[in-house]
Amino acid sequence: MELFDNLLMGLSTALQLNNLIFCLIGVVIGTAIGVLPGIGPIPTVALLLPFTFGLSPASAMIMLAGIFYGAQYGGSTTAILVNVPGETSSVVTCIDGHEMAKQGRAGTALAIAAIASFFAGTMATIVIAVLSVPLSVLALKFTAVEYFSLLVLGLIAAVVLAHGSVAKSLAMVLLGLLLGLVGIDVSSGVARMTFGIAALSDGLDFVPIAMGLFGLGEIIANLERPAERRVVSQSIRSLIPSWKDLRAAFPAVVRGTALGSVLGVLPGGGAALPPFSSYALEKKLARDPSRFGKGAIEGVAGPEAANNAGAQTSFIPLLTLGIPANALMALMIGALMMQGIQPGPQIMTEQPKLVWGVIASMWVGNLMLLVINLPLIGLWVSMLKIPYRLLFPAIVLFCCIGTYGIANSLFNVWLMMGCALIGYFFIKIGVEPAPLLLGLVLGPQLEENFRRAMLIADGDFTVFLSRPISAVILAVVAALLLAMLSPAILRTRKEALAE
Amino acid sequence: MTRSRIDVQDLLFGLFLVAVATGTLVATRNLTIGHAADMGPGYMPRVVALALMAFGVFFTGRGLWRAGRGIAPVQLRPLLAILASVGVFALTAERLGLAIASVAAVMLASFATREGRLVETVAFAVVLSGAAVLLFVKLLGLPIPIWPR
Repeated sequence: MELFDNLLMGLSTALQLNNLIFCLIGVVIGTAIGVLPGIGPIPTVALLLPFTFGLSPASAMIMLAGIFYGAQYGGSTTAILVNVPGETSSVVTCIDGHEMAKQGRAGTALAIAAIASFFAGTMATIVIAVLSVPLSVLALKFTAVEYFSLLVLGLIAAVVLAHGSVAKSLAMVLLGLLLGLVGIDVSSGVARMTFGIAALSDGLDFVPIAMGLFGLGEIIANLERPAERRVVSQSIRSLIPSWKDLRAAFPAVVRGTALGSVLGVLPGGGAALPPFSSYALEKKLARDPSRFGKGAIEGVAGPEAANNAGAQTSFIPLLTLGIPANALMALMIGALMMQGIQPGPQIMTEQPKLVWGVIASMWVGNLMLLVINLPLIGLWVSMLKIPYRLLFPAIVLFCCIGTYGIANSLFNVWLMMGCALIGYFFIKIGVEPAPLLLGLVLGPQLEENFRRAMLIADGDFTVFLSRPISAVILAVVAALLLAMLSPAILRTRKEALAE
Repeated sequence: MTRSRIDVQDLLFGLFLVAVATGTLVATRNLTIGHAADMGPGYMPRVVALALMAFGVFFTGRGLWRAGRGIAPVQLRPLLAILASVGVFALTAERLGLAIASVAAVMLASFATREGRLVETVAFAVVLSGAAVLLFVKLLGLPIPIWPR
């Protein structure tokens, strides 16, 4: 069985002592930032990127991936105990999870959330392993023409499926593309939009941009809101759920896992869409929907499974095609490029150890998370007692040092400052910055493949339509965009993404 | 959020895009455009800038046309404190070393909220600065001076 050979090869990478350590570091950091509201995985991954230079590509990716799915675990702890989502993906867990905590069943809710996450993480690892091979075989048929169309599909789908206005998100993608063009043009050697600044000739680093837009901009906006964090003083009694609880939760976990795995693969889905859909589904299927909102265990189990499954399967497009499904995956692509690995359809055949190592590490990481989260829950709860007034200056400082660290350049720190201002401006005018990051990371590849395609086809634009795979991909793009114009779908989308 | 006769959010975003697009077109005016089969360095920037311009004009127009949400008033204190904190770090990190730059950056950032107490802030800044030096310079080997040269 090729699948088992691959997984075994992956396990042999993931179980190397240093990779185990980096996996552990990743999931611990992930849990910590997941527990703390106000710090998301995006600035954290951006912050740690510079320090992954010295690691092997596999260790770097294993650690960064651990931060992402670790954050999904941690986010639910805060949601259940404080009724504040630690991460956007755990918003729905607040509803029934916190209600359970109020009824004195915080331990059960935490345990169910962790078990659901673990089950979903395990299944999602298998889904990734099964889907990756056929996708990468297909991907090998791709030339610049198909790859360009695929990049377009990735960008458009990410925009359409993520929340926020589609038109604004498209504009943000373009803005990101434009920023990606800054620097010396590869084919002609001419400096573009560098304004005579030497530091710009290699292009804009995306780390300062990500940290400014997502980290600092968010902090400034957070500080404008009045503080409203009440820490629960409730002791967590029994962490072991009863049989009855497990039986009630199990079907929801399975459904949540399935739903999350499917939605996670879609660009733009990532970790935010699945839990909402799962919650809606559970409520619809329940014999007595009125229990929801009053501490229904399915309302915790389903969404928690869905968000973990989704977080993990969103790695599929990245690992097989080199296309990021969301802003965080865009950072992962950046991490690969820093390691000198060109992301793209060939990544799986050229770097099998890396890809399968990362996949296998996810399962190992999930096992670690189960251990880290349940017995050590008290540690994470005490972290919640750190007041925000101490937390945010520390984040600002670490962002400064981290940004400086990518290229030891003060220019990047200034760039981050500018992006913080722009990020704050975006929050004020209600525009999502995530599509910008996607555009920025994919921009150079998009231009390169477009140019190459035009060279192959001698400037004939119809080449994108005359090649079958490319034509199908572009047809999907057109369908997505047309669907957005239809008022009926627009309304359902608004409802689905509302709240 | 206050209601407003025009959609301020759209209007500001539109104007921002128009400004960026105009800036790009000006900055790339001397680059060769070339044609589709043999693109010059100016081809893509101009295509993207023109598309941005179109979006900008659209949002500006829509913002003026329809009623919408105003924006919440800007609070200068957090904005200036955070920006100043980053600025001070950038100015001092290489000259005065990481230890002093960290203390300065943390202290300035703390001014973003009124909750802070001076003694606590100073103590916390010193602790953080020490932790940063240990973690980033000693452990992770970041090449940055610790003390003034």
